[in-house]
Amino acid sequence: MDTSSFGEFIGSYFLWRDPMIVGAVSGAICGFLGVYVVLRRIVFVGAMLSQVSSFGVALAFYIGGFSAFSSLGSMIDPFALSLIMTALAALFFALKKDFFRISQEGAIGFGYLLASGAVVIIGNLITHEAHDIADILFGSAVVVDPKEVYIVPTVAFFCILIHSIFFKDFIFVSFDPETAQLFKYPVRVLNTVLLLTVGIVIAITTRALGALPVFGLTVLPPLTALFLTEKLKLVFMLSVLIGVLSAMLGYYFSFILSLPTGASITTCASLFFVLGIVWREVRILTIGLAR
Amino acid sequence: MNLPLLISLENVTIGYDRKELIDSINLSIEKGQFWGIVGPNGGGKTTLLKTILGLIPPVSGKVNHGEDKPLTFGYVPQREKFDHIFPISVSEFVAMGRYIRIPVGRGVKKEDWKVVMDSLERVEIPHLKNRPFRSLSGGEKQRSLIAHALAGEPDILILDEPTASMDIKGETAIMELLGRIKEKDELTVLMVSHFLNTVARFADHVAVVDKDSGIFGAGIKEEVFKGETLSSIFGLDVTIEHVAGKMRIYAAVGGRDK
Repeated sequence: MDTSSFGEFIGSYFLWRDPMIVGAVSGAICGFLGVYVVLRRIVFVGAMLSQVSSFGVALAFYIGGFSAFSSLGSMIDPFALSLIMTALAALFFALKKDFFRISQEGAIGFGYLLASGAVVIIGNLITHEAHDIADILFGSAVVVDPKEVYIVPTVAFFCILIHSIFFKDFIFVSFDPETAQLFKYPVRVLNTVLLLTVGIVIAITTRALGALPVFGLTVLPPLTALFLTEKLKLVFMLSVLIGVLSAMLGYYFSFILSLPTGASITTCASLFFVLGIVWREVRILTIGLAR
Repeated sequence: MNLPLLISLENVTIGYDRKELIDSINLSIEKGQFWGIVGPNGGGKTTLLKTILGLIPPVSGKVNHGEDKPLTFGYVPQREKFDHIFPISVSEFVAMGRYIRIPVGRGVKKEDWKVVMDSLERVEIPHLKNRPFRSLSGGEKQRSLIAHALAGEPDILILDEPTASMDIKGETAIMELLGRIKEKDELTVLMVSHFLNTVARFADHVAVVDKDSGIFGAGIKEEVFKGETLSSIFGLDVTIEHVAGKMRIYAAVGGRDK
């Protein structure tokens, strides 16, 4: 490793401290919630919610660009609109996922494509701050809004608090909803709260990092953790750790190699995934040889 | 002597999505009885079971649970329904059966884990407690499922095809285990099964269900298991014999089409 690059990186602490905090916390919370997303086989819900979140931001900019709505536009906070739209999408999916009488994947695909198309169209219509659209989709995370340094960890904290109280319940309704229903557990309410926490976290982290890295951090660390262990609580811990490392290393490499930050984070998460596969195959081979 | 009534169905029509399968079902399950529910594939057995459990509402009629106190079910679903992607250990899985006694928001306490371990002992698999549930054999999984149901300290054990896809050795082991647990804990058992001879051997009461012929019959095994009734349901020439005091059911080769 080039020590002068590393030294330069350390010396630029004032530049990367806030984005690194936001990135690490985002990696942790996305890694944690991503375990549910992967185990429940709703991987593309993460992508769909990321796109809906992006759509909310783009819509806020678009409305703000109309002179006729300039007073209204100035009141519409992109972050708030993104949060509201993502929460509504998560609620709709939780409560009405059989609404279209098609497969779950079909409903998710519809939501993802609709939101993605709408983001591109609105991005095309916005006359200024267009670079923000690219940042939203692909992530810059180079410089974060100062308020995100407080918002992201605060939301992550409350999310973890909810999950620590209801951990056994969320796992129960995810693994065996029929028995949970038989035991008079409020399955629908628990599923809704779970998906709402996913939606809210995706909304705030997408604003900070971008849709691509958030989707990547929601999927790849849990998948990697599932390769590494068969113990449920360890899956969660490893997923959080890999999420944090992916975000931090991704940011570091984007800094020293001048790469897009979002893509760098996603690539780091992908490399961890490949390492996870290699580890598992080597373990299977060594166990086989030992026998 | 009238035993306490645990479950009763009064003029119930079972079905789903407003589609009626069988109507006029009257059924009374008393404490200590062993009920077998039989019928052809797709005949409505599992729908009846889920209606009894309250997982599916009846299209019409009334399902009553417990005379003087709420009923605690120990449900043993089919093994194949669980998603293998979940990295759950056997003890964690059995602990979920205890959740009927643990409210939402409360964790699993030491005394709950003691019940979990007791349940594993009762089904003779305490050595498997840390194994991943998905790595178990069919017989081990079935024992885990029974332990899962026992962990809730149920009033009634309800099993859906507990010996499906098992060889004779596995089937005999599971059914004998069930018989021992039933006797020791004075449990009431309700079991859906394809295997008429298994039901004939272990159950004292049976219900036959077939939506295509509209047949529903329930009562003491000897009164319900009649050659004519079973022949009509299964579309085969079914013969019932008694050998050494035990009921044997078999179908003649070359049975007619339904």
